[in-house]
Amino acid sequence: MTALVVAGLSAREMSRRWTALLLLISLPLWFYLVRRDLTGQSIRMLALGIGWAVSTLTLFVVNASRGVDPRLRLSGASVTSIIGGRLIAMTGAGAMLALGYWALAGFDQDLPHPWAAGLMMLVTAVVAAPFGSLVGALLPRELEGALALLSVCAVQMLADPAGLVAKFMPFWSTREIGTYAVDGGSTDMVWRGLAHAAVVWLFCAGLTLAVFARRLRVARYPEP
Amino acid sequence: MSDWPARFEEELVRLGLQPARARRLSAETAEQAGEHGTDPDRLFGPAHLYARHLVTELRAPALVSERHVSGPVMLRLAGVGKRYRRRTVFSGVDLTVRGGEVAAIVGANGCGKSTLLRVCAGLIRPDAGTVHRTRRVGFVPQDGGTASWLTADEHFTLFGAAAGMVPRKARSTGTHLAARLAWRPAPGQPVQQLSGGTRQKLNLVLGELHGPDLLLLDEPYQGFDQGSYLDFWQQVRAWREAGRAVVVVTHLLHELQNVDHVLDLGAAGGNR
Amino acid sequence: MTPRPWLHGFLDLCLLAMLRDQPDYGYGLAHRLAVAGVADVPGGTLYPALLRLEQQGLAEPSWAPSDTGPRRKYYAITPAGLDLLAAQADEWRRFRDGVDSLVGSPEVAR
Repeated sequence: MTALVVAGLSAREMSRRWTALLLLISLPLWFYLVRRDLTGQSIRMLALGIGWAVSTLTLFVVNASRGVDPRLRLSGASVTSIIGGRLIAMTGAGAMLALGYWALAGFDQDLPHPWAAGLMMLVTAVVAAPFGSLVGALLPRELEGALALLSVCAVQMLADPAGLVAKFMPFWSTREIGTYAVDGGSTDMVWRGLAHAAVVWLFCAGLTLAVFARRLRVARYPEP
Repeated sequence: MSDWPARFEEELVRLGLQPARARRLSAETAEQAGEHGTDPDRLFGPAHLYARHLVTELRAPALVSERHVSGPVMLRLAGVGKRYRRRTVFSGVDLTVRGGEVAAIVGANGCGKSTLLRVCAGLIRPDAGTVHRTRRVGFVPQDGGTASWLTADEHFTLFGAAAGMVPRKARSTGTHLAARLAWRPAPGQPVQQLSGGTRQKLNLVLGELHGPDLLLLDEPYQGFDQGSYLDFWQQVRAWREAGRAVVVVTHLLHELQNVDHVLDLGAAGGNR
Repeated sequence: MTPRPWLHGFLDLCLLAMLRDQPDYGYGLAHRLAVAGVADVPGGTLYPALLRLEQQGLAEPSWAPSDTGPRRKYYAITPAGLDLLAAQADEWRRFRDGVDSLVGSPEVAR
């Protein structure tokens, strides 16, 4: 109940930050347009753009509520409902963004497995929400967080997908599922990608919850 | 409204009354409205606000000369200390505040007034001493504590949800409490467009929304104009009358005549 | 009419005094207060005060049917209520005389 109210209001809060929202929504588009002639390149860049946009937006929302959270705890809200509600909102927003860009890519490109392309974008958005909130939990200032996200996404783009470094990056699943969507091959890649995404999601969501459970703990004093 | 008695009863239970007693009081209240040939909403106002009023009235002692007998202890600090690394912020702080009392925390900038208030709230743990505190507490920070992009109404909904109130009730409670500070929130106006003083009014309302027994206020009148400032101290007196305990951090010494206890934390970083 | 803050302090005293004269129910008491010119007491002030008197054993309730509407809750003063009333009435008179001597016409004072 509380989580749903938090989710609804986070969504509304986000929708009012027009400029930031517009810049972030359009960001994947620029990534996509640069190499529109190369299907594989553009689709992967598009997905990474979605990942960066959603995680940055989540970071903003998490940072904006720093003052409010302790007071909500004192009023009786649980950490799970506060953090969970925000994750629900950001995941929903990310899914909508993914859906929009999937439609665009479906019209504009000739994909062997269009559903896998949609899955890739959706998985990226779903992973990006807890990843952004984890960075927000660890780095208290927006600028620091945004720079950290930029570094991670840049490494993700440039690292050799088969190498060890890439596998430790949050959006490796995007590359795996994306390769299947564009170049075809074994569906094993899709499953591997989904498994990686699930592990990253659990790790980020769990760690976010742990960080906030510590930061937002309220001493339980005995009654006089 | 036909569900008035039900909502009234529910709120009484939420405020800690036995369900059987709440049911009896609810039935009686309906009959009292009957005596006046009107419905409870007309005679007593919104159900949950009257429930709060009734509960605090029942706690207050009867008759004039006893009115200022204090209620149960809401907050007790004994030997409380806090240090950051090797620097002692304060130590050996003792303070007892009962229902119907106002305590002021005073002292120079940097002497740990806000830290002590956060210790009272439970947001910071003390390194020494013991704290006893009533469960239902409202905390109003010096600044911040609101979301810039949400409207006042949305804040009421959010903070109400945290306390387990349904949105409609949270909004009507918030609007009523705002009216006591002579403020009518404009619909659709996000908090960042409010003036500093109005934002502090919102902060006060949010601290009080769930009907706490103990209010912790950190210089809550910053940015208030003269009228709002008087409204604020009027409100503090109303809380005291209603049997609530108030702890307020202040640097305005001329207000100390209005309070029951003064805790002086002394000079910056000094030991008490 | 009496300013509200004053009334707040003296309502319990007035209620006990009226109950000493005769047991009564809420609406009747509100009516008597208004007729006496003390105050138009809103229901939200009157009924909590009555409940408090009941809870503290100063007034005892009993139910009686009414001809017109629902049954009524009548309050009668208890011995404890009478004791408290006697003590408070003295205090009130002292207080009233004191205020009178200060407020009263100049030739009376000093």
